[in-house]
Amino acid sequence: MTRNRFFTFIWIVLVALTLVTYAMGEAGIIGSGAMLTVLLIALVKGQMVANYFMGLWHVAPGWRLLILGYFLIVGGLIALAYGLN
Amino acid sequence: MQYKSQAVAKPYFIAAIGLFVGQILFGLIMGLQYVMGDFLFPAIPFNIARMVHTNLLIVWLLFGFMGAAYYLIPEETENELYSPKLAIITFWIFLIAGALTIVGYLLVPYARLAEFTGNNILATMGREFLEQPLVTKIGIVIVALSFLFNICMTLLKGRKTSISLVLVLGLLGLAVFFLFSFYNPSNLVLDKYYWWWVVHLWVEGVWELILGAILAFVLIKVTGVDREVIEKWLYVIVTMTLITGIIGTGHHYYWIGTPEYWQWWGSVFSALEPIPFFMMTIFAFNMVNRRRREHPNKAAVLWALGTGVLAFLGAGVWGFLHTLAPVNYYTHGTQMTASHGHLAFYGAYVCVVITMISYAMPILRGRAANSNTAQVVEMWSFWLMSVSIVFITLFLTAAGIVQVWLQRYSDTPMAFMAVQDKAAIFYWMREGAGVIFLIGLVTYIASFFIKGETKAAA
Amino acid sequence: MTTDARNQYEGLPGDFAIWIFILAEMLAFGVLFVAYAFARAHDVALFNASQETLNRTFGAINTMVLITSSYFVVRAVNAIKCDLSRDCAWWLGMAWLLGAVFISIKCVEFYDKFSAGITLSTNSFYMFYLALTFFHFMHVLMGMIILAVVIVKARRGGYSSRDHTGVETAASFWHMVDLLWIILFPLIYVIR
Repeated sequence: MTRNRFFTFIWIVLVALTLVTYAMGEAGIIGSGAMLTVLLIALVKGQMVANYFMGLWHVAPGWRLLILGYFLIVGGLIALAYGLN
Repeated sequence: MQYKSQAVAKPYFIAAIGLFVGQILFGLIMGLQYVMGDFLFPAIPFNIARMVHTNLLIVWLLFGFMGAAYYLIPEETENELYSPKLAIITFWIFLIAGALTIVGYLLVPYARLAEFTGNNILATMGREFLEQPLVTKIGIVIVALSFLFNICMTLLKGRKTSISLVLVLGLLGLAVFFLFSFYNPSNLVLDKYYWWWVVHLWVEGVWELILGAILAFVLIKVTGVDREVIEKWLYVIVTMTLITGIIGTGHHYYWIGTPEYWQWWGSVFSALEPIPFFMMTIFAFNMVNRRRREHPNKAAVLWALGTGVLAFLGAGVWGFLHTLAPVNYYTHGTQMTASHGHLAFYGAYVCVVITMISYAMPILRGRAANSNTAQVVEMWSFWLMSVSIVFITLFLTAAGIVQVWLQRYSDTPMAFMAVQDKAAIFYWMREGAGVIFLIGLVTYIASFFIKGETKAAA
Repeated sequence: MTTDARNQYEGLPGDFAIWIFILAEMLAFGVLFVAYAFARAHDVALFNASQETLNRTFGAINTMVLITSSYFVVRAVNAIKCDLSRDCAWWLGMAWLLGAVFISIKCVEFYDKFSAGITLSTNSFYMFYLALTFFHFMHVLMGMIILAVVIVKARRGGYSSRDHTGVETAASFWHMVDLLWIILFPLIYVIR
């Protein structure tokens, strides 16, 4: 079924992104660039889970925006706090 | 009235209102003592007046909850109460024990009362809100047990709805957490730690379940909205209440000798406590807007909406104002706390009990709703009491700000009593608002005696 | 009937009430995430040093475990939409097992920390680490309970392509648990 194949693809991407985050941690890449990259990866992963796994893609756009807004606000505040030092 | 045994609710409601009057009178006495320290001294010292004021509040709300449960449970479970006789016996025991306790507070010095009543066997007295003598505390447990037995037996043999399950869960919690009033460790930190398990987990935990259930019941009755819709809301509200309220206990654990992490947990979770109250407001208005029938009892609808709004303001907004640890560092134990306490208790619990009384009492007296005139008077009493309690809250908030500013925040802090003098103007205005509140309460009682054309009971 | 949640609320998968719940939970965690970040700003050195003691590999494995179990839940929902009750129950069962794997790894981590004498009062970092992961842990447990109930009903053929709100409700909750961990993992284990 093509639908399942699509979700399998999403799953592979999610796993790959997780490995990138993990590798960055293991390699000890630090600094604001690394911090923003990791947060951005989290945002992308969150969007994939919310829109495809949770199925918000088929729902009124307000709900998608809500989740996107959540990641932007929470991620933004985290970035701000990390930028403080 | 659908079930004969619902009639046992009536004496509970009457007693509740009677004790409410007593509570307000003592409130006025101590309000005056704020600015005229020797008023009625030595007959009624401030600490006694305060004790009577707060204890009466709790006792009359308990009468209200019990009455509400006795009215609600037969209708929800669709059968008669297990034992109406037991309910009436319990009523008299509770009323007499309560009255004797108050008389004891007023006539016997507190230390002597403690001596008479076996405080040397198990010391439980002398703690705010839990001042009751040991015998009274045991009495409360017995009353609660017989009440719960009666309610649960009725529930077991009848239909089980979400509303009755949430209500019973709340009432069970009420009884269980009261048991911590018997635990009085000599370590002051531990004492306070568990003291809040009664006080906080009551008003910011299980009582909210009772509140939600009663409100949901009345809303089903007066709006005719589908039970499924209302119950769904009830579940969400209850879950949110428990998530935020239980760990929210931490907002009482700042700087009293408890671990530091409570400052974070208390701040974060109690900052979310307004959410269930906000949902309750949305819920009440939403259901009334989607109503499928025009219920003749407009006064009950007004009280229900009032519960939503004022509980959110009092418990939600005024609680949030001083719940964050850095803010509470300055406001702890000032009049800010008192302002929050007044509006929260009124908005959440006074209003919901009166909502239930307002809905049920006409039916218990054989009509669907009171006459139009009586309802207009009752609505007047709603506005008088609600507006004056909001003003009491605002004046106390002002007094609290003065207190924080002069006594705590200032570079040259002033002494407590000196600051109290500075805030005197607000205490006078608070007393004035209190008098209006009493007028509102008298108006409310008067509405019961107004006759006029009424519709027959549904 | 006005109780058909799907028609009423813009076609959200599952029961509308679970969505209110999800939003409220996300808010609670969101506040804690931000609180962690700002608490860290006060004492970066302490947070970085304490973070080094965490097992990042365990964290990464657990991320993949949750993502994969989320994927299995998606397969379960797709299965029931095609009326494949048995497949649905099977996928949900696999997702449940991965939940159990997550719990086990987490328990090893907790055991490590507790046996090293670390408690909530050790320092701010450990307070947040233990509190956040423990709250999340409790949500995984709750999700597993919900999944178990749905699995039992699905096995009995209680759902169909026309009526599977229960499956979608459980799925939505499970995805939320995943979603929260997607922020939690980089925040607590990686970013420094």
